[in-house]
Amino acid sequence: MSSLAVARKDFKDVRRAKTLWLVIGLLGLISGMLAYVFRGSTGTPDSEVVQNLFYSIAGINAILLPIVVLIATYLAIAGERDSGSIKFLLGLPNSRRDVVLGKLISRLGMVTVAVAVMFVVALIISLVRFAVFPIGVFVGIFAMTVLYGAVFVGVAVAVSALTSSRSRAVAGAVGTYFVSILVFFLPGINVRAIVRFLHEDLLGLGANIDLYQFVQYVSPFFAFQKALNLVLPERMQNDFFKGERASQATQGGQGAPGQEGYEAAVEAVDLPFYLTDEFGLVILAVWLVVPLALGYWRFERADLG
Amino acid sequence: MAAISTDGLTKRFGEDVLAVHDLDLTIEEGEIFGFLGPNGAGKSTTINVLLDFIRPTAGSAQVLGMDAQAQSREIRRNIGVLPEGFELYERLTAREHLEWVIETKDAADDPDEILQTVGLADDGDRAAGGYSTGMGQRLAFGMALVGDPDLLILDEPSSGLDPNGIQQMRRIIREQAEAGTTVFFSSHILSEVEAVCDRVGIMNQGELVTVDTIDGLREEYGGAATIELECAALPQSLAVHELPGVENVTVEGMTITAHCAAPEAKVDVVEHVAEHTDVLDILSTEASLEELFNSYTGGGRDGRPSQREEPADPEEVTA
Repeated sequence: MSSLAVARKDFKDVRRAKTLWLVIGLLGLISGMLAYVFRGSTGTPDSEVVQNLFYSIAGINAILLPIVVLIATYLAIAGERDSGSIKFLLGLPNSRRDVVLGKLISRLGMVTVAVAVMFVVALIISLVRFAVFPIGVFVGIFAMTVLYGAVFVGVAVAVSALTSSRSRAVAGAVGTYFVSILVFFLPGINVRAIVRFLHEDLLGLGANIDLYQFVQYVSPFFAFQKALNLVLPERMQNDFFKGERASQATQGGQGAPGQEGYEAAVEAVDLPFYLTDEFGLVILAVWLVVPLALGYWRFERADLG
Repeated sequence: MAAISTDGLTKRFGEDVLAVHDLDLTIEEGEIFGFLGPNGAGKSTTINVLLDFIRPTAGSAQVLGMDAQAQSREIRRNIGVLPEGFELYERLTAREHLEWVIETKDAADDPDEILQTVGLADDGDRAAGGYSTGMGQRLAFGMALVGDPDLLILDEPSSGLDPNGIQQMRRIIREQAEAGTTVFFSSHILSEVEAVCDRVGIMNQGELVTVDTIDGLREEYGGAATIELECAALPQSLAVHELPGVENVTVEGMTITAHCAAPEAKVDVVEHVAEHTDVLDILSTEASLEELFNSYTGGGRDGRPSQREEPADPEEVTA
């Protein structure tokens, strides 16, 4: 497998980059400090405190990990095109698919190492402090975080395959972060409101809450948080997308958390399949596969001069 | 079977740039072929098509009897490539570069032996980021030699090399050729092609202007020579260009320069001019392949089209 040879060489090359280790060290420091100061409200059992700790680390990663991964990966292929070293890579019996796959494998390895460092540091500190190890939640959140990182590795390798120079790759990486994450919760931009406007005012159609929620759901940022429900104990799960329906169903459409009947209404909401937690995995898979396929398709046809 | 053959190969970039136009080129097995031309002549574009880095707009290319596009991977298994304008992986050592190439080509070479061959034996464990241009070029050449390729494609191989390095590379190229390897290398420097090549092809502005052996080129240019006469005064009408064997005459200040097809014509020029005026100095030069090269390529990017060797134009001759 040539792609493995490409991956091995790339991994060997990148793991000697000091900046990479600096970033991984910083990530470890962040999660270590969080583990050191993290506490629950009085009376919370230690095991739950530690579970909450790992959930918080996932929350940090929801925003931070894409940045780290994009920065570490956006030059994977574009950088080699820019410097001309790709002529070695492709002067050898490697196909362009080997190059894309090899880079993907190597950078997936790297993001796994980075996430593992964060989780292991936090685990060691929490073991010292609380002497509990909630293995199920730990493994579940770890795996889901690696998957989330993998999505951005895929997108970044795709961006890198689509662009021919460093500057364009930078633009692609920044653009990716914007459309996949920032646009969904930057103040001033309300994707939901935009879709509602298009749907109701421009097209003159009736309100469709599920549609608006789904539009938010296409962000890997939300998909990750929803998919996390799959590995969390019930008490930690969040009720994305159920709240709006629950409030419509209680208190004459003005229901809010804590009010009578609200919790039961949340329980009773039956979301369409495309808003379920499981569908989060589908959305993450689409983010992983579609950009990569597009990047590979373009790269396969590009003139590398 | 030809080692390389192109058939009507054409590559256009965008609307305006015609990098290679209708190229028909055949390189026989076992020969050392020099691919000459000024910068931007289309040499690298041609090589990039052979390696499937870029795809032709029209026509096709075959390498070792295989289609350059459809069977590129198989081709690259059997050739060695020294690309142009590359950067090495700065954090990997020379040995690691070679090990990677050996692994990828599934070859049985010993990295140390290759380091020895290209003169990097003492630097094999240094990261390539600290290499000079010449050392990088040596390593890249070593990488091209891995797996005993049937064909070596070398794009401007001597750039950055010191005279020793150039000597060494020439020696290796000759050894490879003697062992049956076809060598195809591009250069914009004529002298280096002259020293090793069996045949040369000259590209200019995307077209192949000539293919010949070095000897053939010399013959074609004959014993052509140039003679410069510095005169005390310039008579009104000398009509030097009308002398038999004189191809071109230019006058600059008090100096008459005549390009002659044969050495004998030089004597006639001197005698003819001496009859009309005092000749103060004579400078006779034999035509070099360099001039020939320039005549085919119009001096490359730096040459004006008017400098191109053309039959004597009476309008130009005022003497």
